[in-house]
Amino acid sequence: MEDGLLAIGAGIAVGLAALATGYAQAKIGSAGVGAITEKPELSGRIILLIAIPETLVILGFAVAAMILVLLGE
Amino acid sequence: MAVVPMTKIHVIGHRNQVDPVLGLLQELHVVHLVDVTHDPDVHLPPLTVDEPRLAELQELRFLRARIDSLLALVADPPEPLTVAGRVDLHSLRRELETDGPEIERLVQELDALSAEQETLPLHINSLARLLPLLPEVAATSGYETAALLIDSRFPAVLGELNAELAELIGANFEIISDRVDPDTLGAVLVFPRGRSEEVLGLLGRERLSRVRLPPRFDGMAFHEAIAAMERRLSELPAEVETTRTAIDAHVRTHQNWATASRQLTDRLSQLDAVRLLGATPRSFVICGWVPAPRLDEVNAALAERTGGSVLLIEGAPAESDTPPVLLDNPAPARPFEFFMRLLSVPAYGGLDPTLLMMVFMPLFIGMMLGDIGYGSVLLALAVVVGRRYATRPGVVRDLSRMLLLASGWSIVWGVIYGELLGDLGNRLVGLEPIWINREEALRPLLVFSLGVGAAHVVLGLLLGIWVAARAANRGQLAERSALLVAMVGMFLIVGAAADRLPAGFVTPGVAAVIVGLAVMMATGGAMGLLMGPLGLLGAVGNVLSYLRIAAIGLASVFLARVANELGATGPLWLGIVVAALFHTLNLALGTFSPTIQALRLHYVEFFSKFYEEGGEEYRPFGGTDHTDSLAAADFG
Repeated sequence: MEDGLLAIGAGIAVGLAALATGYAQAKIGSAGVGAITEKPELSGRIILLIAIPETLVILGFAVAAMILVLLGE
Repeated sequence: MAVVPMTKIHVIGHRNQVDPVLGLLQELHVVHLVDVTHDPDVHLPPLTVDEPRLAELQELRFLRARIDSLLALVADPPEPLTVAGRVDLHSLRRELETDGPEIERLVQELDALSAEQETLPLHINSLARLLPLLPEVAATSGYETAALLIDSRFPAVLGELNAELAELIGANFEIISDRVDPDTLGAVLVFPRGRSEEVLGLLGRERLSRVRLPPRFDGMAFHEAIAAMERRLSELPAEVETTRTAIDAHVRTHQNWATASRQLTDRLSQLDAVRLLGATPRSFVICGWVPAPRLDEVNAALAERTGGSVLLIEGAPAESDTPPVLLDNPAPARPFEFFMRLLSVPAYGGLDPTLLMMVFMPLFIGMMLGDIGYGSVLLALAVVVGRRYATRPGVVRDLSRMLLLASGWSIVWGVIYGELLGDLGNRLVGLEPIWINREEALRPLLVFSLGVGAAHVVLGLLLGIWVAARAANRGQLAERSALLVAMVGMFLIVGAAADRLPAGFVTPGVAAVIVGLAVMMATGGAMGLLMGPLGLLGAVGNVLSYLRIAAIGLASVFLARVANELGATGPLWLGIVVAALFHTLNLALGTFSPTIQALRLHYVEFFSKFYEEGGEEYRPFGGTDHTDSLAAADFG
């Protein structure tokens, strides 16, 4: 039972963070494609901007890992 | 790992030497021209483009546009000849006047024949569907027929047509209709030839389309038209071939056009460059930058070609000057310049991190992918693509060379993790990890990723300190050093908290964090109170960001495991197919995602500690790669 709750908690931590990342990337991505159409030299910068929200899901992953590793022991 | 030093030059000569000097510089392909109005050392107006040059510009642009438009019409245009000699503009103009219209006519003819090849089967199809509806009376000479197609959603149109025709010509007509396909009703209208004008005027309304045949078949009976169109269709391939041969023959006799287009482009770029020059009533000045190691070459060429009548003066760069940036890296690192340019060229005098990217980017990709099987497939792909593009510089070749290194690291990390197509190596040959089993040892994997992150970020900070010290920028030097001290303090505190370091390290750790933060706040001015702690938090976040090395790697491991589990169910052949599909998908994801993530780790986490971007890329004034250029004398 307790293991199950920990797994659900870890799933929520990484899942919600992934949703937030996806939302942010969708917004940045659509604007970025528009910008690249007009200025192709911005490609690198746009890749960078799209990759920035991934920190959210990485932090979600860190929290999930802490739940499983530290609390699951 | 260097930006090539640039020397500022001014080339001064008599105005009548502008063209030969520009021609020589174009040939040398080494001088980065600067607009005279942007040079703080030269206070001269720009050289005005005189009437003859304007006329030349206009004429050359017209000739080039004409040649390019003619070559664009041809499916397989000729390649420019490498050794061709100068193109004679007079004969070029004559050729374009005489042969241009003929080529255009032939291409139009070819287009018409191709269109005919496409449309005739459609006409035949329409008529064949309507043929069964044709009544016997249509064969009588006093009657005319019209074929109609009606959208089957509006069958009432036929009733309306019937009523209007009855009002117009009485009962002397017949409409036979039937469904020819699910969306279309076909109808044949037979009416007296004498009432043709009135009846055809009535047709052509909305939702009712008359089948119109190409002019040459107009007026024929349906079955005659079908037979004639089929005959025509069988004749067309031969006509198309004849026309193509005629076009090819014309183009082959004008192979010089492609060369001429290049020579015209070069001369046009010379004429365009004239606007960048400065001028006095009798002389001109060319401002530009030359890579310092090639200055003597330019000097010698100018002296030899102009007999010393043109002067090259080395200028001292002004503070407001922005020298162009030319990267100079060893051959293995050059493919990574592409990734640098994706972001921005480094500022002149700044650090070029291409070599560091060559070291760390494939290493990170290898850490994430970490599989002997995937690495081997990627290695084979990189070798094949690399060989195919060996002589063609470009993005594909650069990517293949980067993947070559990444695949090597992937194999190395695959051995360390004990992974061959996920856990398949373990299942089949009992492959065991040398160090970390990623499926089970989550904690060591996380600690390892954070360790890699800490090392990479600290390296970035050390480079940042070096760059700031080299530029004698005290503010940046203090700020980056303080951040490094605070980060070391954080590491000591975390190490002690995790029982990896003795508890005695906590006090110096806290002291280092306090000192580092205090210096950061002090150097940040009014905003320092806020920016100091935020800077430290950002750096800690940067280190945490390297957890993606573990996260992406784990995703890859479990996808591979899913592939193997699915492959183990059902018959052997099906299992192999399913596993192969899933492993292919995983390989594609496992190559793309780590590449993007490794790039991000460099652009955001690493470069932010030392990289100064915003340089202007070195673009030497030069021509296309042929041997002879047009000169002003060729014009006229």
